[in-house]
Amino acid sequence: MFERGKKDNDTIELQDTNRTESNKAFGSLRTKVTGSSSDVAIIGRSIQINGDLRGDEDLRIEGDVSGTVELKNSALTIGKEGKVKAGVYAKSIAVDGETKGDLYATECVSVHANARVQGNIIAPKVSIVEGAHFKGSIEMDPAAVEKALGKTTASSSDKTVARKKPGIATEAKGTPQQPAKDAGTNVDPQARTA
Amino acid sequence: MTALLRRANPGVKPGPPAAFRAPLFSELVAGLKIDERHVVLDLGAASTALLALLGRSRCRVEVADLAHFGGIDFLNSKEPGPALVGAAESWLPNGLSNDAIDIVFCWDLPNYLTLNALSALMAAIGERARPRAFAHAMIFYADRNMKAQPGRFVPTPDGELIDQCAASETIAAPRYSPEELGKSMGRFTIDRARLLGNGMQEFLFQLPA
Repeated sequence: MFERGKKDNDTIELQDTNRTESNKAFGSLRTKVTGSSSDVAIIGRSIQINGDLRGDEDLRIEGDVSGTVELKNSALTIGKEGKVKAGVYAKSIAVDGETKGDLYATECVSVHANARVQGNIIAPKVSIVEGAHFKGSIEMDPAAVEKALGKTTASSSDKTVARKKPGIATEAKGTPQQPAKDAGTNVDPQARTA
Repeated sequence: MTALLRRANPGVKPGPPAAFRAPLFSELVAGLKIDERHVVLDLGAASTALLALLGRSRCRVEVADLAHFGGIDFLNSKEPGPALVGAAESWLPNGLSNDAIDIVFCWDLPNYLTLNALSALMAAIGERARPRAFAHAMIFYADRNMKAQPGRFVPTPDGELIDQCAASETIAAPRYSPEELGKSMGRFTIDRARLLGNGMQEFLFQLPA
């Protein structure tokens, strides 16, 4: 679906060879290569996505995303310019920008200084840096976190569309997925950043 | 860091954040049992240090950060009445579970609310709290002025509190009396009060059984 065209030493532009009216946004996903190992897809500042977004690679959001973000095995970073109004499910979530919605991570959630987060956080490890603005709940009961993440994983995997290959996928008109209502949120004090 | 932990001295102009002892706060946190689940409502800003402290037990922490998210001005601007309680309820976090609240950390927030707004807020919280739930608050008592914005109180490893709010402007403190507070905390009633070294009065309120 995408071909990576090399732009310069550090940036690779994703080009959508099957571009249609409904998925033009894909043409603006870029992959920035850092060093020799990992690469991160980027949703740029001018991009707005309304719907479900799923994928199997690390993602950085600098644009506006509303709906659902699901990166079960990958890391999500919401950059300083990023605004996410969605339920988010990822392996790890780092927030520098704004989010409205519940954040579920199987590993950790980090809310950095000046970030603005409204919603509940459910993850085994949570760090909220001084200066971050947070409104919501954090579950610190390991049993409740495990229960919440288990329910979330089960319900979202039922809904996950078949992936042809790793990458970011969106369902532009998808209905935002609702988190389990009785889920809890968790925090690992040892992971918190001072 | 040592310099930051100097003791508060009433009357001294704002300098580096000063640490102070708040015995009722310490007692409240120390009373959390490791093997029991507790729900804590923090009306102030999220604090890494407080989360770490509460993380020693099976806590669920709900953070309202009323000051940053505009709740104070909103509540102060509303007319008193039943609708105000509903408005106050809307400023509380929407938790994923309906567990009743065990402890409320008000910090110095009551100083920044009118008595009507405070009464509505605590009435709304009281509806979510379990019987005998506690509410902790600190009221400006000795000083006639207070910072223009509520503090960001953070517990230190030594069991003291430190206000990390950088605001330098001051406004007149309402200096609410215990009688006024007693009538403005919803169903919470005064359990104990202590005068602190920084000139504030520390209150512990409790819901009836």
